[in-house]
Amino acid sequence: MNFFDIGFIIASVVCAVGIVRRLARWCGKPTSEVSVSSLSWHRRLFLALKIFFLEILLLGRTCRTGRIRWLAHCLVFFGFMGLLLFHAMDDTITARFFPAYESTLDPWQFLRNLFGGMTLIGLALMVYRRVRLRSLRSLTRFQDWAVLLVVGGIILSGFLLEASKIMSPAVFDVMVYDYFIPEDGSDITALKAVWAKKYGVVFPEEISDSDDVFENGLSLNEDSCVDCHSDTTSAFISRPLASALHPLAPALNRSRADEVFWYLHISLCLIALAALPFGKFFHPLTTPANLMARLGRRDAAKDDVPSPAIRGLGIDACTRCGECSLHCSVGPAFSVLGNSNILPSEKLISLKGFESEASLSGQALEAFAEGSRICTECLRCTDICPSGINLQDLWMASKKAVSKVAPDSNQAIRLMEISERAAPFGECSLPPISGLADNKESYLACVQCTTCTSVCPVVAVSEDPSRDLDLLPQQIMNLLRMGLKEQTLGARMVWSCTTCYKCQEHCPQNIRVADVLYELRNTVATRLREGECADERDG
Amino acid sequence: MKGMDKPVKYAYFPGCKIPHHLPEYGQSVETVCAALGIELVPLEFNCCGWPMRHDNELASIFSAVRNFAVAEEAGLPILTPCKCCFGNLKYAESRLAEDGKLVVLVGRLLAQDGLAMPKSINVSHLLSVLDEQVGVELLQRQTATPLAGVKVACHYGCHALRPGNVTGFDDPLAPTLFERVVTALGAETVDWDLRLECCGHPLRGRDGVIAESLMRKKLENAASVGADIIATACTYCQLQFDKERDGLMLNDPLRKAPPAVLVTQLIGTALGLDASVLGMEKNCIPWRVPVLQDRTL
Repeated sequence: MNFFDIGFIIASVVCAVGIVRRLARWCGKPTSEVSVSSLSWHRRLFLALKIFFLEILLLGRTCRTGRIRWLAHCLVFFGFMGLLLFHAMDDTITARFFPAYESTLDPWQFLRNLFGGMTLIGLALMVYRRVRLRSLRSLTRFQDWAVLLVVGGIILSGFLLEASKIMSPAVFDVMVYDYFIPEDGSDITALKAVWAKKYGVVFPEEISDSDDVFENGLSLNEDSCVDCHSDTTSAFISRPLASALHPLAPALNRSRADEVFWYLHISLCLIALAALPFGKFFHPLTTPANLMARLGRRDAAKDDVPSPAIRGLGIDACTRCGECSLHCSVGPAFSVLGNSNILPSEKLISLKGFESEASLSGQALEAFAEGSRICTECLRCTDICPSGINLQDLWMASKKAVSKVAPDSNQAIRLMEISERAAPFGECSLPPISGLADNKESYLACVQCTTCTSVCPVVAVSEDPSRDLDLLPQQIMNLLRMGLKEQTLGARMVWSCTTCYKCQEHCPQNIRVADVLYELRNTVATRLREGECADERDG
Repeated sequence: MKGMDKPVKYAYFPGCKIPHHLPEYGQSVETVCAALGIELVPLEFNCCGWPMRHDNELASIFSAVRNFAVAEEAGLPILTPCKCCFGNLKYAESRLAEDGKLVVLVGRLLAQDGLAMPKSINVSHLLSVLDEQVGVELLQRQTATPLAGVKVACHYGCHALRPGNVTGFDDPLAPTLFERVVTALGAETVDWDLRLECCGHPLRGRDGVIAESLMRKKLENAASVGADIIATACTYCQLQFDKERDGLMLNDPLRKAPPAVLVTQLIGTALGLDASVLGMEKNCIPWRVPVLQDRTL
């Protein structure tokens, strides 16, 4: 067993265990209400073919969100798949279909450089997009850089490996030992002359460049080498790279850089294999699967409620491209409140934590609950998602469960006893929100005429307003003008205000009754929010 | 003649709830506007800020103002079919006018997104555009199948109407705009006590009992004056009177109260447009066949 075999076994086991865990998480959920759209089988087949070609192979959905992003993703997708199928799996695929296959023959040598170059350009575009867009940059997490670094590392180490092999005399010697039978002593020198000049090997000794020797070398090369070796100039990235590294070549050759880069290249490939079922590394499998499961839908219609397994697949299909967050309707709320859970791509990560056994708690849970609450279910993230994730369904399905464990300010007030509601915050140390409620001038004109109360539709539908609402609108105004704001914050009248503005419209003294009630709700929401942050800080 | 002499052009602000929760409103608004010569330009707006106004006023105002900035970049006035969107956009406009500190704060937030504080703000509700730009006369002329004999209870919706000094929609105590539009289609309008009251939807998820009581009271009142339908021109009001009502027990008498009809579905029907392009099949409580079969159908 060598390094590669041991590494491959370990990476495969990690990968397999990870995949099994993921599948178990998808399928371990109790089955909830599921409805399947009633499509005929031939319609399904047609859609499946269409999805396979347009959305999976040609990344049609990615194209909807921007041409540069589409180009970048296509370059990486086709480049990396080319390398995976024809280079990494050359024994099983390439050699089988092309019996004359040798990795150092064209077109394979050329294609390897082409695919590697495509992937690198694509990755560079992706890094550029992530750095250039301020909002996307701030959302970028470890896993986003990790994928770019590992894939980029594989390609770069591959080019370095090829370049170091091109220039390596040690590799030349091994090949000569294995495949070349010199007839006399000058043959090796002649062959070296050709390989130094034509193929780019950097020998430590001076190599004769007389025409005779070179001619002899060429014919020896013709007899023994060209069947397996195309000119290295077709390695249009590795060969220039080797030339660029020429000044360092003696040192690199002495330290057997080709072996170092081989270990690096293989290690990175094995890391990628082991990381496959984790985070964003999994998307090359989950995203196509999810696109297929959705059959091209971009809505969240009632006739298509997914099963828990499909929901799990959807959560794991996120490529973290961030398009949903860049277009989120409530993005401005994130700008003000700074809670990244307001944005879909980040909320999805919290949802994953919330759904798994190691569920969220403390501030993370509160942040997720706020994000869940602020979402207006506008469908935009679902419509735009290049991976076809039914985000709308995920948000709507989780809202109830989240609000149960992390109540919002309205629910928090309603969960209190009457005595607690009378002064919900006791002695509050937080600074007041300066506005209407704390400004006595807002109520100077109030004559307690009770117009606000008598026009209020909420008061009108209650048989016993003091039982149902704690205080009446004019009583709230009275307490406020006496500076007793704390006593009003928990009153259910504040929280059951339907915001119809009749009180304010009808007030003969032009007091902004409804605006004040909004402000009281804002005050409680802010205090609960900051109070939780303070609790978290204190321990 | 089709539509107006001079087509009018607006930035279309459907609001968050239409795409998933009330697609029939979006569909019928787009169809009817096209038929009347109102050009709707889709821009990427964000939330109007109304839903988050309970939690944080700054977030709410910034959301609203960001939309003004987007519309100004396109050089278009905003048209919204939702009264809650309209109300919050107008509220944000009034807050900017009265609070200099807020202007600075919001300006800073806009700059982060590469946007500038809008110099002018121009927001209209669909009903105002129908009344002022299209006009009763053209509506009458375009009406192919007058809704003769249909008794309509116009439901105004709070957030466009009040506070009147902020929204400037119509006389907040005695509005007539909605009735003008509906009578132009040949329908009759009824006078009802709770015409200007709240539908109750704003309390959904906050106080379900009162939300339902408000809805119940209003529907019963509309039924008692003999209305055939309740006309709405607001996403939330329609959600309340149609989708939420559909969640009641199957034997609840309220299901038999007048069905809620979007104003654009009503106009579309009068214009002779096909039921399918008005999203009529998506209404939970059907109205077309039960109400119109003896009359215009």
